[in-house]
Amino acid sequence: LCPQVHSLQELRRSASLATKVFVQRDYSDGTTCQFQTKFPPELESRIERQLFEETVKTLNGFYAEAEKIGGSSYLEGCLACATAYFIFLCMETHYEKVLKKISKYIQDQNEKIYAPRGLLLTDPLERGMRVIEISIYEARCSSGSPSSGSSSSSSGGGGGG
Amino acid sequence: MPAASGKRFKPSKYVPVSAAAIFLVGATTLFFAFTCPGLSLYVSPIIPAYNAVVFLFVLANFSMATFMDPGIFPRAEEDEDKEDDFRAPLYKTVEIKGIQVRMKWCATCRFYRPPRCSHCSVCDNCHPLTAPRPRQEFDHHCPWVNNCIGRRNYRYFFLFLLSLTTHIMGVFGFGLLYVLYQVEELSGVRMAVTMVVMCVAGLFFIPVAGLTGFHVVLVARGRTTNEQVTGKFRGGVNPFTNGCCRNVSRVLCSSPAPRYLGRPKAEQTVLVRPPFLRPEVSDGQITVKIMDNGIQTELKRTKSKGSLEVTESQSADAEPPPPPKPDLSRYTGLRTHLTLATTEDSSLLGKDSPPTPTMYKYRPGYSSSSSSAALPHSTSAKLSRVNSLKEPNSICDSGHKPSYRSEPSLEPESFRSPTFGKSFHFDPLSSGSRSSSLKSAQGTGFETGHLQSIRSEGTTSTSYKSLVNQTRNGSLSYDSLLTPSDSPDFESVQAGPEPEAPVGYTSPFLSARIAQQRETDLHGRFASTASPKHAAPREPSPVRYDNLSRHIVASIQEREKLLQQPPAPGQEEDAGLADSGIQSTPGSGNAPRTSSSSDDSKRSPLGKNPLTRPALPRFGKPEPPPALRVRSLGSPDQPAAPHLGKSVSYSSQKTASQAGGPETEEVALQPLLAPKDEVQMRTAYSKSNGQPKSLGSAPPGPGPVPLSSPTRGGVKKVSGVGGTTYEISV
Repeated sequence: LCPQVHSLQELRRSASLATKVFVQRDYSDGTTCQFQTKFPPELESRIERQLFEETVKTLNGFYAEAEKIGGSSYLEGCLACATAYFIFLCMETHYEKVLKKISKYIQDQNEKIYAPRGLLLTDPLERGMRVIEISIYEARCSSGSPSSGSSSSSSGGGGGG
Repeated sequence: MPAASGKRFKPSKYVPVSAAAIFLVGATTLFFAFTCPGLSLYVSPIIPAYNAVVFLFVLANFSMATFMDPGIFPRAEEDEDKEDDFRAPLYKTVEIKGIQVRMKWCATCRFYRPPRCSHCSVCDNCHPLTAPRPRQEFDHHCPWVNNCIGRRNYRYFFLFLLSLTTHIMGVFGFGLLYVLYQVEELSGVRMAVTMVVMCVAGLFFIPVAGLTGFHVVLVARGRTTNEQVTGKFRGGVNPFTNGCCRNVSRVLCSSPAPRYLGRPKAEQTVLVRPPFLRPEVSDGQITVKIMDNGIQTELKRTKSKGSLEVTESQSADAEPPPPPKPDLSRYTGLRTHLTLATTEDSSLLGKDSPPTPTMYKYRPGYSSSSSSAALPHSTSAKLSRVNSLKEPNSICDSGHKPSYRSEPSLEPESFRSPTFGKSFHFDPLSSGSRSSSLKSAQGTGFETGHLQSIRSEGTTSTSYKSLVNQTRNGSLSYDSLLTPSDSPDFESVQAGPEPEAPVGYTSPFLSARIAQQRETDLHGRFASTASPKHAAPREPSPVRYDNLSRHIVASIQEREKLLQQPPAPGQEEDAGLADSGIQSTPGSGNAPRTSSSSDDSKRSPLGKNPLTRPALPRFGKPEPPPALRVRSLGSPDQPAAPHLGKSVSYSSQKTASQAGGPETEEVALQPLLAPKDEVQMRTAYSKSNGQPKSLGSAPPGPGPVPLSSPTRGGVKKVSGVGGTTYEISV
């Protein structure tokens, strides 16, 4: 059995980064922050399509909510103006709040869905909201170059067993 | 003046902002000091209060505009541009609300600049130690605030302008009031100061108001200064506008966007540990869609364990479009291997598959390559699982598909699909590079050897690829080959109209079986005639043709069986499929030697397969689409035709040399369907005949080109319909 690991560094003993998939932005609706829901081929054998699509759609929903122009954001703007923006020192903006939700959601997805499949989502915020970066890990319990595909999975299975 | 840090300290860049600040603060202070007391006394105390509020507003927006990050993108990590960097076209077009917008590749940032994103020349030059970074929704660089105006701080900049205009107007107006009404004695210090302040205000009012008006228009139109000045949307439509009201509200009322730089790095607490789960492919949930020469066939596997949806994206491939690939169903049969390496029965295509086999074109090599958006030419054979079962056999004959690289060979479809599935299995799973390499490796072989199998379904190339894959992988099993249940589907997949009755057209799977059967016969027959190259039909041929031989043998045997008994479609086809696969192997093995060119050799294994295939159609779908096949043969036919001829010649020679082997199926490679069918029919019945010459003479027209291929010991060359040559190890 692979040893318990408590950091990504240790993880690399048993799982190594094989490749990264980048889910690009979907600009079809302007510059609003949306990501493509097209299923990347590299993930074909790693995760079910609907799980991935659901993740991306949820993220898109979050970003739409963050950029939503409504009563709450208007009031927030007025309040900020009224206080000469000193309010930003005390309170976080609506966008920031949604970003926190997103980050929590991504972590949750990673823990529950993606990490067990050898994948890791990276918060798009770290990439400037340009891409969703999905890291694909391959198991390698023994030394050797990580191989992608079934062989790696089999080795992963062997490693995990 | 050199700075210790190495950063160039340019005081000149601070001049405008300093001047602006001085004027603003100074003038206002004077106003408050000298004018307001009198005004508050004699007119109203509200005036100073109002002005104070406005001034505060101005200051706040000024500060925010100055110090807020406009939305600078973090640099792209190296992994992101791996694929883009070397092959990236300079521009990538995206469609925004129906309007094509170009995104430029930014070499410094190593990503495609999002729309409206730009570098700031001023800021980049001033901070040489920092890598220049683009600003999101870059508006302009404002010297008065010494900052770039971008997405995040545009609102503050705009409000700063508005408030400053208001403030200037207020100061000027109240000063004028003070002077005109002579609130206090005219010749006082206060009056003088007020006059000065008024002059300053009046002086600054004109440019500031002008700029404010300009930006009001920009906001209403939803443009940035950059776009306006460069005239991007001068005559055209701005894709970024949502209407005047929405644009204004977006600027003013939206929540401030976050900054990208300087954020605390989130601690990665999620552990990625093997074993990893793999998605399950449930029965009937996967749709196999194989695109073959632009023909998209979606096989709905009602009974199959599942289907793989393989979509190939057309990409500008240098290679000529390969002939239509073998029936997708065959591939689906292989899919079992694809999916979690389950030894699913090959009856993926089930019995329900429509009679017309779909020609599918699968390019495993391209499957992953298409993943990168920036790949200039990625033919992606995307294998995707679709949860819905789709009705199969919607074959769209779309003619040439550049991405279709399968070789039109007479490889038995059954053979092909298993291997294909295998290769496919590994290709998408493997990195894109691998598939690409596979692609390229096989490209020449495939492209040059467009063995146009009449039935052609591109399985030959597929199988070839799969064979190569197998050799690479070593882990490929040939179980799928032995599960010829795909054959019926494969046959059904073949979309083209088969002019010949089912009799003449044997399903690939069946043909594989028959071929297998034949092979066994052949072994017996040719034992005396030639030193068998392969001791046993199933003797593994050298290295990578191991599987081929097995397949070919299997297909031959399958054929034999079929000939002997009316086939139960599923089983027989399965066997045939396996057989065809096996049968094709020896053919491929011998191909290099027999064929005149390496291309032929590559193709001949594929060609071999169709050999068995002719037998199969008999059992397979009633109407394999001969038209389709012809089409497929035709379009990419050109390069393959000569090869076909060559292989035909080889096979015919071989068959000629091997007298009386029923397994000697010589099907001249012909792009014509009819002869192929005829040959197939003959080959199907060749068992009884055992006369190679009958086969040889079968195909009219292009007919059997004189075969010059030497007979490998124990290897029988059979020409399949369409001119594909199979080499069957005896």
